[in-house]
Amino acid sequence: MKLICLVKFVPDVDNFKYDFEKNVLIRENTDLVLNPDDAKAIAFALKMKALNPEIIVEILSMGPKNVAAKLEDLLRLKIDKATLISDSMYVGSDTYVTSQILAKHINSLEYDCILTGTHSLDGDTAHVPSQIAELLSLVQLSNVVEVNHFSQKRFNVCVDSENFIETYEVSLPIVLSFSKESKLKLPYIKFEDIDRDVQDKLHVIDNTILNFDKKNVGLEGSLTKVMRSFVKQFTKKEKLIIQCDEEGVSSVYRFLKHLGYIK
Amino acid sequence: MKRVLIYFDHEQIENSLELIGVAARIYPQDECIIDALNTSNKNEDLVDKVNTIMNCTLDAYDYINITTLIKELHAKYHYQCILFPSSKHGRIIAPRVAMRLHLGLVADITDIQINNGKLEIIRPAYGGKIMASIECIKDTLMMSVRQNVFKVNAYPIRTSKIENIEVMDYRPNPIKLVSKVEKKDLVQDIRQSEILVSGGYGIVENFNQIYELAGLLNAHVSASRKIVDHGVASRKIQVGQSGKTVSPKLYIALGISGSTQHIEGLRNIETIISVNTSEYAPLNSIADVVVLGDALDFTHRLIDKINKERKG
Repeated sequence: MKLICLVKFVPDVDNFKYDFEKNVLIRENTDLVLNPDDAKAIAFALKMKALNPEIIVEILSMGPKNVAAKLEDLLRLKIDKATLISDSMYVGSDTYVTSQILAKHINSLEYDCILTGTHSLDGDTAHVPSQIAELLSLVQLSNVVEVNHFSQKRFNVCVDSENFIETYEVSLPIVLSFSKESKLKLPYIKFEDIDRDVQDKLHVIDNTILNFDKKNVGLEGSLTKVMRSFVKQFTKKEKLIIQCDEEGVSSVYRFLKHLGYIK
Repeated sequence: MKRVLIYFDHEQIENSLELIGVAARIYPQDECIIDALNTSNKNEDLVDKVNTIMNCTLDAYDYINITTLIKELHAKYHYQCILFPSSKHGRIIAPRVAMRLHLGLVADITDIQINNGKLEIIRPAYGGKIMASIECIKDTLMMSVRQNVFKVNAYPIRTSKIENIEVMDYRPNPIKLVSKVEKKDLVQDIRQSEILVSGGYGIVENFNQIYELAGLLNAHVSASRKIVDHGVASRKIQVGQSGKTVSPKLYIALGISGSTQHIEGLRNIETIISVNTSEYAPLNSIADVVVLGDALDFTHRLIDKINKERKG
């Protein structure tokens, strides 16, 4: 069985940098973290591999070249292969184009199941997993928290659906998108593997292999465009400013009573 | 005449009806026909709110066939706009449809603006830190719509025609729902709450104490992202862009500074009380009452005051 994990390294949302002129995120030289939902997808793949060492786990990511070092760390977790799709032509691609690029590469691979996260911290559209599934004519489920009773070709998949846990019986191949609410945990790199050379398992591919026309990718090929971006301004309004002392709390009490919130 | 298709998710009725409010922000009512695709067979929530109710008998999770059905409808009616709720199903079907129809899709929108005759679709990005105005470059607009932001029933009553439709190019669904179990730790949906007592980083060490105050006010408890990231509160009660958009009548913010992403989650709130040690906390700018001081101290003092007055 072969599992492909799609992972994305995202800027830490508390420390992101944005180019307000070009309306693109600055991904070079910024601190990137593994998207939390995607970590659950890898955790599941590694759990499967621990149960059956014959299972092959491959990671696929797209982003700037500095993601390669991050992928090396994942390879030290006993992952068999990692591929980074990186080309300056792809910068600024929207979800429609990103899905096309990833799906074109996946089409050249053999697989039984594609594992992804549901949301990404940065864009938070949750489009790419569903769109890749659409391009590959596969079913896809989001917010997966657990996968049970796996046989060679069938899974029982538990989905967190707000107030319910739904269980679906699915046949492979399928795209499963995990939620960060899943209890699965990504293992730590073993001490003896910290400096292990994994270069032979890391492949970087660009447009000379995927062969997209320039007009169909990047900002030019995208079907949605950011017209402008702005920080929201809030209008100031009249307000009462009080101190947190006996008098202040009494005013809040009277205020709440006046409005009927305290009977 | 413009024609709009809305996807009616019967598990998210309110949010689905809010799609009519989105259409109303783009097109004048007498220039717009609204079709609703309904996979449930229950029409009562849609009757006289849309022009055509299109009923089909597909499971709500039959994503491939629903995508095919929308493609077939679009080939027939050439929609100017296709709208989905940002619900569990909507968020899976919308991107599939966009790919199948080769259209751009704007996710989780929170506002529509028309500037110099040009339509701008607004959504928060990067965890709500900035707002982005997005343009779809194709003729048909596709959007998924953030819950609890737009108005329900924005158009006056229209007489609905009911049609039963079927997908022509049907493929058997390879997945089957085998069980649906209600969660044990079910919490109140904070989107329905009239009063919310909300805790932020200023009260992270003592978050549980705000439940007592909430109890005295018949309120529910919500939290900021920082509290949730610290594992102190469940994501289900998180207010903000990455959490829920809430519209209580009264919002008491205890130690919440109010990042853009948090304020994005507050809509149509009548009264906001913000308790913060800093006068310059961003949330204070939209508050009606600002209490300068420690959130825990305030919580204790107000609990004592309410108890004392009740006894007295």
